[in-house]
Amino acid sequence: MSSMREIRPLSLLCELTYRCNLQCPYCYNPLSLQSYREELATREWCEILSQAAALGVVQAHFSGGEPTLRRDLATLVNAASRAGLYTNLITQGTFLEEALLDRLIESGLDHVQISIQAPHAVPGDRIAGAVVHDKKVAALRRVRERDVALTLNCVLHRGNHDAIGDVIAFAEEHGVERLELANVQFYGWAYRNRSALMPSLAQVQRAEAIVAAARERLRGKMEIAYVLPDYFGEFPKPCMNGWGSTFMTVTPNGEVLPCPAASAIRGLRFENVRERSLREIWNDSPSFTRYRGTGWMPEPCRSCDRREVDWGGCRCQAFLLAGDAGLTDPVCSLSPNHQIVVSLRDAVESTELVARRA
Amino acid sequence: MNAQDRPKFGKGVKLHRGSDGRVMLLVPEGALVLNRVATVALELVDGERTIAEIAHAVVEQFEVEPERARGDLDVLFDRLTERGFVRRVPAAP
Repeated sequence: MSSMREIRPLSLLCELTYRCNLQCPYCYNPLSLQSYREELATREWCEILSQAAALGVVQAHFSGGEPTLRRDLATLVNAASRAGLYTNLITQGTFLEEALLDRLIESGLDHVQISIQAPHAVPGDRIAGAVVHDKKVAALRRVRERDVALTLNCVLHRGNHDAIGDVIAFAEEHGVERLELANVQFYGWAYRNRSALMPSLAQVQRAEAIVAAARERLRGKMEIAYVLPDYFGEFPKPCMNGWGSTFMTVTPNGEVLPCPAASAIRGLRFENVRERSLREIWNDSPSFTRYRGTGWMPEPCRSCDRREVDWGGCRCQAFLLAGDAGLTDPVCSLSPNHQIVVSLRDAVESTELVARRA
Repeated sequence: MNAQDRPKFGKGVKLHRGSDGRVMLLVPEGALVLNRVATVALELVDGERTIAEIAHAVVEQFEVEPERARGDLDVLFDRLTERGFVRRVPAAP
């Protein structure tokens, strides 16, 4: 028998740029988009990918912002693929023309996730702040015709929750085999717009019934991923499967984060791949070790049977809602701060959305 | 799946053997860690070999009862087929 395996990352999220031509108000990118203009160079990303593979990472996710705005995307996909990594492109699809798509597939791209804002052009374009829905539909068709896996993603919030049945129908109509119905998570711009984006309890309950029926009907044809919205569960999500346990993010300027939303936590300093290796940062940077495992946990987590199920929930959420990343996620019904979540869920204060912009 | 079906991987599904010998099935936005029987079986998935041939290889390698091997493989392939990770290529008529 082997002894306890060394904790090592499996998944690397490469946030290549925070630039984007859309203005979705539920974006989880940080509000301070201006601070990330000094983007890593091609050779720096290639070095990161090779270090990640040596560290045990098996999957590289290319995201942003909009990753196709990087002219070197195919080069980076190729570097990841040659290092033996599974490559995943997370895009909103508006620049996924034939030539680029073919070049990415030739470079070893394994999977594409394309997001839509709504199942129809008018509401979709309104949320995106640009006329793009039809371009996305064309990109979906292009990906479907080629030898690369596809997931369709749609972020759900109060403004489009009632269209969930139409999103499923849209996916069926376009031959999608994997659909991700992603309830908005309240970080970055989405946190800023939380009160206008929060779905109602009635919407959430209705959606669950629709998803259950669709899963039954589409068994073996379409896989539907649907997770209860954060503020509506009894227990928190096992965020990142535990802080610093399997996942790392590199931001456009080279900061290494245990979670893509972690830059919101004030007081945690994140190290940069321009200064230290990925391995050193993963193994002993204070930002990674601070909440790793169960030793940091306060009550009620410390003595809870679920401490290695949900790992205390989300550190970013604990910071954003309760002011301290070292507390139990207030989403947990056992948290002494749970009332904060209950009152946010029940009070719809505003319907005004602030568009994401640099 | 029937004994003469020839399974093949869906798009975006591949086997990965790590430097520590651990084998994983990499799938869109996830990774499944495989046990030894699943590893042997899935390394033979190529759209050519039949379920019967794969089961035979498992029986040879692990010295298990053929019925038990078929039962384990049915569970494995049913799960993977349901999620679209493995496709069933029907036997030629």
